Amino acid sequence: MTTLFFATDVHGSDICWSKFLNAGKFYGADKLILGGDMTGKAVIPFVHQGGKNYRITLLEQVFEATNEDELADLVKRVRSRGYYPYMTDPDEIAELEKNPDRISEIFMAEVLKVVQQWMDLADKKLDGTDMKVYCSPGNDDADEVDAVIRSSRRVILVEGQVTQLDDHHEMIASGWSNHTPWDTHREENEDQLAVRYEAMTRQLKDPRNAIFNIHVPPYKSQLDEAPELDKDLRPVLAGNSMKPVGSTALRESIEKVQPLLGLHGHIHEGRGSSRIGKTLCINPGSMYEQGTLLGALVKLGKNKIENYVLTTG
Amino acid sequence: MSNLFVRKATGMVRSWSVFDAFIYAFFSINFVTLGFYAFSQMYYFGGGMINALIVSAVFLVFEIIVYASLISVMPRSGGDYVWMTRIFGGGIGFILAITGWWFTLWLWTPVYGDMFRQVVLVPILGVLGMQDTAVWFAGTGTPLFVSSLITLAFVSLVIFLGMKTYARIQKFSFYAGVAGLLIVIVLLFTGSPEKFKAGFESNAASIFGSQPGVYDATVTTGTDAGASTPLTGGSMNLVLVTLPWLVFFNLWPNWGATLYGEVRGATDYKRNFSGMAWALGTVTVLGIVFFLGVARTIGWDFYMQANGAWWNYYWGYVTDVPPLPVWPYPAMLASFLTNSRAVQLIIMVLMSFWWFGWAGTLFLSSTRVVFAAAFDRLLPEKVAELNDRGTPVNAMLLMVIPAAIVSYLYAYNVGGFISITLAATQAIAIMYFGTAIAAIVLPYKKKELFEASPIAQMKVFGIPLITVAGAIFAAFLGFLLVEWMFDPWLNTGGEGAGLYGISFKNTNSIIFLLVCYGLSAAIYYGFKSYRKKGGIDLDKVQAEIPVE
Repeated sequence: MTTLFFATDVHGSDICWSKFLNAGKFYGADKLILGGDMTGKAVIPFVHQGGKNYRITLLEQVFEATNEDELADLVKRVRSRGYYPYMTDPDEIAELEKNPDRISEIFMAEVLKVVQQWMDLADKKLDGTDMKVYCSPGNDDADEVDAVIRSSRRVILVEGQVTQLDDHHEMIASGWSNHTPWDTHREENEDQLAVRYEAMTRQLKDPRNAIFNIHVPPYKSQLDEAPELDKDLRPVLAGNSMKPVGSTALRESIEKVQPLLGLHGHIHEGRGSSRIGKTLCINPGSMYEQGTLLGALVKLGKNKIENYVLTTG
Repeated sequence: MSNLFVRKATGMVRSWSVFDAFIYAFFSINFVTLGFYAFSQMYYFGGGMINALIVSAVFLVFEIIVYASLISVMPRSGGDYVWMTRIFGGGIGFILAITGWWFTLWLWTPVYGDMFRQVVLVPILGVLGMQDTAVWFAGTGTPLFVSSLITLAFVSLVIFLGMKTYARIQKFSFYAGVAGLLIVIVLLFTGSPEKFKAGFESNAASIFGSQPGVYDATVTTGTDAGASTPLTGGSMNLVLVTLPWLVFFNLWPNWGATLYGEVRGATDYKRNFSGMAWALGTVTVLGIVFFLGVARTIGWDFYMQANGAWWNYYWGYVTDVPPLPVWPYPAMLASFLTNSRAVQLIIMVLMSFWWFGWAGTLFLSSTRVVFAAAFDRLLPEKVAELNDRGTPVNAMLLMVIPAAIVSYLYAYNVGGFISITLAATQAIAIMYFGTAIAAIVLPYKKKELFEASPIAQMKVFGIPLITVAGAIFAAFLGFLLVEWMFDPWLNTGGEGAGLYGISFKNTNSIIFLLVCYGLSAAIYYGFKSYRKKGGIDLDKVQAEIPVE
């Protein structure tokens, strides 16, 4: 029996990444699978005020650091929410406001720097064990992330591939999603997603025992309920109105292939499990900004799932 | 945080409308259903109603701070269940939340059913000339059970339609209900006591078949029932004693709070706070205006006497049907200021939206907590299954069937079951008490989480605001719990149900609470043991993974 641990949407949180790497030992899992969206959403400028003084605005609150210890503490706070600290000064801030392209460059550099740190940490922590991390970046992750992951010895990039997890279970994986209002890095039409899934499923030797590690949840699976937004991206009716935003192509593929297990993410508030036919679909959700690693522990048997549970670590 | 440094990424939504948040919080402290219902049952107190409204609102501001703060620190997490579980560990959070958000809602069902017939069925049927049916629906026993079953059917329909549809119905209901209430208030402030007395005599007779002299007869019956609650005044002690009843109406500004989305900063904390605080402030002012309008035209003493006459009969202290054989619904009383059936019907229909826009959420929180427990493997997977149309049939059955049984016990007053109305508030208050304690200790038990949250800098004399607000709210809840359990009426040697009806001397109330908490504990520890045999340690799956 293989026990796998799945988590997703850690969005740059150092705490969540460290917990994820420790999860195999903690829960007694054999395989670690990371769903997409591993990179963060914001850079926080640490504006130098002279001497050892820095000022930051975090969550609309101004914090001051007056010495190295306080600065280290602020950096830790920023990283704990998955944001990227960037040391700068008032002159550069003024310059950046005139040059948005430069901001994108800074963002990308910070993203890749942290992903590299994560890969180094994984190689170090998992060294001497049999544990590997199977990873497929999500729609929020830039293409450049893939190359950094490939450099790792312990983290395996599985996007678009069929991976043999054990003697009985194969896994297909993709971080691509249907279109979102944010026009992110890995989005495409449902038709294109269907082609992407078909390219993988037709390689499966035993589809009924397969695992679909697909970032976007299937449409109308309960795992894809997100707040309905207006044209200005405001939640309508104070967030009381939820609507399904998952992939129809994925749902059709699951209905057709009926794999053993679907592992999904993308919708942070969509934590739960549901069945589409015989397929158990799981979205563990995400609370990355609180440093809490939400996950799913699944015990795979031959032709069946022996047991599973959603975790809050 | 400047947008300069935020990239486009999934979920980066803008803030929701504070007005929308206000609407849902305003409807949760429902002035017409919960409010009119609670006010009418509080006819025997010594503290002034206006004073009580103001004092309770002051305490409830701290509830709003607690919930707005917890949402800011742990948004989208599912509310009380997750907050308590994260801060205290598994068992307490499960037992308090399952009882508060699931089992207790069974008892709310006949209460909602009672409000349905009194606010919707009886006045509308009466105005439409269906006198016998209207009066029948106002009666005890079967009519209440039928109303409760209709309520269950309506709530099931809402679950079937989904929140996306119902949220729109709620918004429409807000505007329709407010329009109806404005007409009622205008009538109250433009009428006169003489006009009301004449209208009451003629309409009570023509709509509900009351005998001539119904006004004076109601005064006599209500006085005999002990109607005494004043509009204003009373010592602080007497005012405080009214609060354990009044919170049945206004303890709920946070009802939909956990629905709010991602919190990105202190501004969103303020939005959360504002939506709830404006709702609490508005209903408090509305209550004062309404009371003054009642005093001006209906007459405060008559209003309380009519309430006393009805509830004294309904609770079984007397057997004679009161002179007005239906609940003295204030909107209906105000509509008696006109003799136009068309205007009366418009008022009653508009006012019915206060129920339709509110009652559909009866099982909303129950559904969430049942699903959350199933996902935590503390209930069978089957309970969270959807049918082909996407309806959670099994979860619905777990709510509807027990609710129908409890409705039966309540409607037919089996063993005095009707006396435990306030237990519906009590069990939720116990859960809130757990949440308030969680709020107090949060900055210390989850230091890093708190310090990286949008409320890290909100302090009072160096103490985190969430801790201060949590302590005050917990003290208020503690006061309510003590008063409910050790009813002050019993201390004076009083007989009967006491002021609130749910003291330790009411075995129904104690049994109901013990069954609820016992069932929660049995589910928690039973499933924990069962899962352990299957190789899953539920303590471990909720424990924090080491970072280093």
